[in-house]
Amino acid sequence: MLEHLGEKLVLQLGDSNIMALDIKALIMSWIVMAIIIAFAWWLRQGLKQDVEEKPSDRLVILESLMNLLDEQFADAFESEQLKLQLFSFISTLFLFITISNWVSIVPGLSSPTQDFNIPLSFALLVFLVSHYYGMKIQGTGRYLKGFAQPYAFMLPMNLISEVAKPLSHSFRLYGNVFGGAVLISVLTAKLLPVVLPAIFQMFYGLFIGAIQAFVFALLAVSYINVAVAE
Amino acid sequence: MELSASIVTAAKYLAAGFVMGIGSIAAAYGEGQVASHAIDGMARQPEMEDSLLRTMVIGQAITESTGIYSLIVAIMLLMVV
Repeated sequence: MLEHLGEKLVLQLGDSNIMALDIKALIMSWIVMAIIIAFAWWLRQGLKQDVEEKPSDRLVILESLMNLLDEQFADAFESEQLKLQLFSFISTLFLFITISNWVSIVPGLSSPTQDFNIPLSFALLVFLVSHYYGMKIQGTGRYLKGFAQPYAFMLPMNLISEVAKPLSHSFRLYGNVFGGAVLISVLTAKLLPVVLPAIFQMFYGLFIGAIQAFVFALLAVSYINVAVAE
Repeated sequence: MELSASIVTAAKYLAAGFVMGIGSIAAAYGEGQVASHAIDGMARQPEMEDSLLRTMVIGQAITESTGIYSLIVAIMLLMVV
């Protein structure tokens, strides 16, 4: 009943586990990328028009999408300069995770975020970006000294809390998406396979998926803010 | 099935049930607290609604992580152990 959830297609390149590629998650994330690129290309084609003309549908879609992203994430940044540098990164993260979570409502496809490797890699990316900007804006020496604040013996605790950040960040996304997938497959296999899964797909796939992507992006912003302001 | 193996299986299912049941109490209570105080704030200052909503969602997501940990432990008990 649940066996298909943990199933992986693994390409073994060497003897160790490090050299293994998880093909299923890889293909699913390629599909998500293809969807996003095709959508962006389609929107871009709609922009080729005269200023005098009435705005085309695609222009309106693009503007409302940009307004949505701007309203949600623009105020969250610590400073205007940081917003200019990182707004596109955070928006890309949000769009990619949203489409990843939504893609599971198509029968036969599964969310790439359902595989723990992908949320973990996003969380590590946010971890690296936050430390990079912390060092860049505060200066490396001052930033590293910040870990020994307020007292030097707090250093191990501060380091542990830094390591815990990407872990909890990734487990939150993975747990929500995977929990929804487990629930939906139990419902489909054991209860009513007709109407009920569709309703639960709406709730777990669309609603929770969008909320979790939003939360992931906002937490990324707040981790970066903390690193910059420390 | 041998007796010891069936005891292990029973313990696995019981533990998964307890982990999920007890583990979600605190997360649910915490999220309720966050939402109730956010609504208090919104009723008092409706012009703050947008920023309160955003802070509320972040707070709930952080509170939820203990619940998510218990979900992951329960899934590991059922499928991995």
